[in-house]
Amino acid sequence: MNEVMSPLSPPSPLRAGAAWRSTAALLLKLRSLLALAILVLFFSSMTSSFLTANNLSILAKHVAITALLAVGTSFVILAGGIDLSLGSVAGLSGMIAGYLLVDGMRFAGAPHFLPAWLVILLSLACGGIVGWVNGILVTRFSIPPFIATLGTLYVGRGAALLISNGRTFPDLAGDAARHNTGFPLLGQAYLAGIPLPVWLMAMLAFLAWLLASKTPFGRHVYAVGGNERAALLCGIAVSRVKIWTYIISGFCAALVGLIIAGQLEAAHPATGQSFELNAIAAVVLGGTSLIGGRGSIYGSLVGAFVIGVLADGLVMLGVSEFWQMVIKGVVIILAVGIDQLQNRFQLRLQESR
Amino acid sequence: MSPRMLTPFVLGLLSALLLVACRGNTVSHRKLVEVIVPSQDNPYFQAEAAAAAARARELGYDVRIDAHNDDPYTQDNLIDVAIASNASVLILDNAGADASISAVRRAAKAGIACFLIDREIRASNIAKAQIVADNLGGAELLGKRFADVLGGRGTYAELLGRESDTNAQLRNSGFHLSLDKYPQLIRVAAQSANWSQSEAFQRTETILQAHNDLNGIIAGNDTMALGALAAVKNDRRKKMTIVGFDGSPDALSAIREGTLDATILQPAVKIAVLAVNEADRLIKTGTTGLPERQWVPCELVTRQNVDEFRAFQRTKPKQAGE
Repeated sequence: MNEVMSPLSPPSPLRAGAAWRSTAALLLKLRSLLALAILVLFFSSMTSSFLTANNLSILAKHVAITALLAVGTSFVILAGGIDLSLGSVAGLSGMIAGYLLVDGMRFAGAPHFLPAWLVILLSLACGGIVGWVNGILVTRFSIPPFIATLGTLYVGRGAALLISNGRTFPDLAGDAARHNTGFPLLGQAYLAGIPLPVWLMAMLAFLAWLLASKTPFGRHVYAVGGNERAALLCGIAVSRVKIWTYIISGFCAALVGLIIAGQLEAAHPATGQSFELNAIAAVVLGGTSLIGGRGSIYGSLVGAFVIGVLADGLVMLGVSEFWQMVIKGVVIILAVGIDQLQNRFQLRLQESR
Repeated sequence: MSPRMLTPFVLGLLSALLLVACRGNTVSHRKLVEVIVPSQDNPYFQAEAAAAAARARELGYDVRIDAHNDDPYTQDNLIDVAIASNASVLILDNAGADASISAVRRAAKAGIACFLIDREIRASNIAKAQIVADNLGGAELLGKRFADVLGGRGTYAELLGRESDTNAQLRNSGFHLSLDKYPQLIRVAAQSANWSQSEAFQRTETILQAHNDLNGIIAGNDTMALGALAAVKNDRRKKMTIVGFDGSPDALSAIREGTLDATILQPAVKIAVLAVNEADRLIKTGTTGLPERQWVPCELVTRQNVDEFRAFQRTKPKQAGE
């Protein structure tokens, strides 16, 4: 190591060392994917039912929930913010859908029922609105994102409980007489043998990747997260970019709430508690910096898979719940630890060139 | 440590952790019984899960225990994993009477025999059996005891469980089946403390400030009764009659000390064992031979008979004259 750092060292060991290093750098770069491969290998060797088509489909369906949240909130984190209200927004959107489907809108005393697709759109819009409120609080009122979204976390959860007075909305299947059937399909339908939530995850992840890496908006998000002052001086509408990141995040969280309500065929006000932590963990596992400006959608997706495979695999092995928590925590800390090391390592690599 | 050493180090550490966590897991071809309970850090659910697991192992099954932490979505995922693992039997203490229906239906469709314990779901003909403690009957019994100790007169406060929980509603109605027969027994306060000890403590402190002539507190579970007990102790006023519900180890020792007057023992252990026995019978003979809905009676525990019980089960037979 030292001899490479020294400019006096002979050329041939330098080249060999450099080759070693670039391999190590590549391994570090692909670490989340490597970790995923190792986890899959490990679980399939420990239990025969892990690597079956049935289980992989179930696994992907579980991953879709974390992945949708992680992809959505990646924009917020890339722009240097944080969104703690994800879980509450998921719970709230499910409850709004439940209210519209079961109790109906009240005009002049009589309940009116909307078709399922309109219920879905309205609930998604509510998620977007909560995101917009987050964005306004952060930009217009200069409230730190951690505090602003902590506030909406509580408000959202309280609102979800208020809608039904703490009750669960049962039987979201709808009623043919009310023309509002079909809502549970969102969580239960299969297209070409693959669950609909997995398609939604694939679609949204692709769109998010396009948005982040191929559009001016994506560049602006990175710029705002990298150096907000510089972005402002470059003429980027920093506030507008930030507000949109929160809207995307809220929209994805609302979608997750609807998928879960569809799967359960019931809307439960406590749905989604601590989902935001899973999503943040997935984003961080994928190599995105919590300071903003560095990271990728692809990373968040892989991070969500790591968390999902770990969770389901450990349950399949019959590992106790308490150990599951310990392992998950260790994985997150290690991931961020390696991330920091990678930064130092790459810096040194550049210096030695 | 140099970065290039790190990758192998991390991978080694991860595998070691996983190996430690999975020790004792061997591939086997015995039938799997999946036990899912609300939490693994609460004595009631611990007793229930341990009893089901022990009985199933005794009968020659593999057992896996998981907890859904009262989150229907977590429960949904756990049931998916049970389906993927080809479990034969599901013993479930569910996460909500409405929100659990679709998950249980999915498990039943996948060929898993579902046995619901402790809490019912609002749907029939999906599970093979729904075995619960008779909460209404137990609450009525407790209400009568509470009124008798108070001599049928005075003021009392009621601590209610989580409002969305069916058992909270059942117990509340059971209490009043007895208590409302005494016109001179007046309820001066009724608050939900969400089954929680700390919330019950705070609520009781506030109630005691407003009503310093209070004679008794009736709580929807033992945890809340113990919270109320702590608040009353701090207040150092005259002795108050406090009763709880569940039969937890802490409540039993409080009854032995004489600080808690009575509790209702929910036979969690008996219910769990019954469920596993019926599942075994179903596998061996094709039927449980019993109706789907089954109610197991609760028992009143007071200072007189407290030694006949231990953590959610009767350990000694009933004495004559009880």
